[in-house]
Amino acid sequence: MHLLSVNNLLVRFRTHDESVFAVNGVSLDLDEGETLGLVGESGCGKSVTNLAVMQLLPKPAGKIEGGEVVFQGRDLLSLDESEMRELRGKEIAMIFQDPMTSLNPVLTIEEQMVETIRAHRRVSKPEARARTLELLHTVGIPQPEARLRNFPHQFSGGMRQRVMIAMALALEPKLLIADEPTTALDVTIQAQVLDLLQRLTTERGTAVILITHDLGVVAGMTKRVNVMYAGFVVEAASTADLFARPRHPYTVGLLHSMPRLDAQPGEPLIPIEGVPPDLRRAPVGCPFAPRCAWRVEACWTAMPPLDPIEATQVIVTTGPNATHRIACWNPVTPEEAIAARPLRAGFEPAAPPTEAVS
Amino acid sequence: MSGSMAQPPAPSGVAAAAGAAGGASPLLQLADLQMYFPITSGVLVSRHVGDVRAVDGVSLTIEKGETVGLVGESGCGKSTVGRTILRLYRPTGGHIVFEGQEITTAEGSTLRGVRRRMQMIFQDPYASLNPRMTAAGIVSEPLEIHGVGTGRERRQRVRELLATVGLDPDYGDRYPHEFSGGQRQRIGVARALALHPDLIVADEPISALDVSIQAQIINLLERLQGEFGLTYLFIAHDLSVVRHISDRIAVMYLGRLVETATSRELYERPLHPYSVALLSAVPIPDPAIESRRRRIILIGDVPSPSNPPPGCHFHTRCWLRARLGNPERCVEEQPALREMASGHAVACHFAEEVEGSPEQVLQISGDSPGASVTAAAITPTTATTATTPPAPTPGALPAGPSTPQQPVPRRRERS
Repeated sequence: MHLLSVNNLLVRFRTHDESVFAVNGVSLDLDEGETLGLVGESGCGKSVTNLAVMQLLPKPAGKIEGGEVVFQGRDLLSLDESEMRELRGKEIAMIFQDPMTSLNPVLTIEEQMVETIRAHRRVSKPEARARTLELLHTVGIPQPEARLRNFPHQFSGGMRQRVMIAMALALEPKLLIADEPTTALDVTIQAQVLDLLQRLTTERGTAVILITHDLGVVAGMTKRVNVMYAGFVVEAASTADLFARPRHPYTVGLLHSMPRLDAQPGEPLIPIEGVPPDLRRAPVGCPFAPRCAWRVEACWTAMPPLDPIEATQVIVTTGPNATHRIACWNPVTPEEAIAARPLRAGFEPAAPPTEAVS
Repeated sequence: MSGSMAQPPAPSGVAAAAGAAGGASPLLQLADLQMYFPITSGVLVSRHVGDVRAVDGVSLTIEKGETVGLVGESGCGKSTVGRTILRLYRPTGGHIVFEGQEITTAEGSTLRGVRRRMQMIFQDPYASLNPRMTAAGIVSEPLEIHGVGTGRERRQRVRELLATVGLDPDYGDRYPHEFSGGQRQRIGVARALALHPDLIVADEPISALDVSIQAQIINLLERLQGEFGLTYLFIAHDLSVVRHISDRIAVMYLGRLVETATSRELYERPLHPYSVALLSAVPIPDPAIESRRRRIILIGDVPSPSNPPPGCHFHTRCWLRARLGNPERCVEEQPALREMASGHAVACHFAEEVEGSPEQVLQISGDSPGASVTAAAITPTTATTATTPPAPTPGALPAGPSTPQQPVPRRRERS
């Protein structure tokens, strides 16, 4: 049994006159102690997927319209709010991009951390305070005794993120969801925070879902990756496999559109043309088709399933030997992945079907 | 691409040199540029109680047609340098010389004349475009301000500009909110191009954009440089982007330049401990490389520019200083930019120690697993004494009782 199984999750945001198709059937599994990266651009549904797992979708607009979320054998979608509250923090903790907005600005660090611990554990205030001190020390806050009485605004961005990590790990959760934890930080501070996050979660055997747009961070921090686009998982593989043998045109495009520190000088960037799709329209076909150089006719009409790239009897969804799967009708060949364009003689991307244009 | 950036010319010499050199003079020279922002206190009578030294003595030369990358962390003053060049601020000290013309204190029509030739692209395409103006209005505004052409000519020019940056000229009637982030940044680029500038200061032009869009804008900027012979000062925090687009890179830390070199040199042979740490902190999208890289984890945050550390600003976080036994010189004496190789200048007293150190080499190529190197060669000498005691007697520690407390940089090692 997996620690977390998300099956065919559908999330929509509805306002009075339109819907946003945020997550369109995402499935993913995670084992204990595993690190999974969710990669994609803004609006690809990576954060919404995890907010749905935590049942923290903004209400009333955000709604889970299908699928299931099973954590340690329990169907989270059937739990009521008080049961979820019991679970959040204790079993699944979350770290957000902006630590300033996720810490309470009018409470001292001590007040909020002691409150967190005492909400879930029957400990006295002094015990909770001692634990808080220990945690702040673990995450490398200098002079933790003095800092206990400080307010969040008295901390720098990197220090606030350390406090967030301390709070998230206070109750020793089984799963930590880190949503762009270092995007707001400078690169040297990012290195500090990632180092800390990796050390602590490895020591404790905490499973991590790392949400990020930065493929470099994923490469160093995770063992497995799901690439998302417009509310779909389009490629899933072990991190080593994904970077060595990307097969989905979007993944290939992402890898070629980022300048790399180790690139040969003068190596041109190959951008992905066009813009991400408007999620207010119900997805028809593959959402990447309009920007894709590999598209074939089927791409305009049917979303391909997330299937193994090689025919196999057993699909492994977790662990280092996870099956490499992509959702694509016309996968990129290894040579094409290097060239970042289709190399087949006479291949032209399929034109959009005329009747579908409305 | 010359090494002239290395020598901070004496302020008096700048104007003379620029005037004498004639056509060969660089497009822009900064000499010991300072920009302090006063900190005041008091309600009725405001007293000057200190300064935020955003830019504290920056000397930089930009040749015509090249791209100079200015890189550093937030708060290091890189944006202030860009804004001061455009004279959005009046510098506290130093000189700005644009094509031989001293513009440090220029005012009125002189300043306007120069500003026509220098434009800026801003980071946030959502905040830098007036939401109540159409795209055409935004792009045409510089033309109107400088009284270029008739209304009809301006409209024609705006259409050309929109096409140049890859937008449909018929979209000119639309408002900024009708465009995506990448398209808005294209409008910002079109506006910057309107007056045929020589220098464009691009301040984090792609940081607010999605990954797949960033490359579109980078390629656009590169194409425009080729077409119009533009000179760029490209300000960014992302070293991989800066390295990609720049001919030369200047690394900034707390208001000062710590290293200037060609992109290639800086990457292959960084000589300032801060540059080395910055390079090592940039993640590379390749798990095989990431697993064998050693990361220098700097301790602590960037100090406040209102109260920078004495001597070398970086000494509080420097991994090299710890290894060298915390020499007092770093605290007492501000290191000057000195040329270590042609076109490669470093502001570090001990840059020679960086040369050839295991940290200097980015563990990127080569098939030898980094672990073996890591274990043996990399361990700092002072730390060796502290962590693996060959002589258990505490008195035998050569550096005295303070040694164990030294901030030894932690390295991330993954297997």
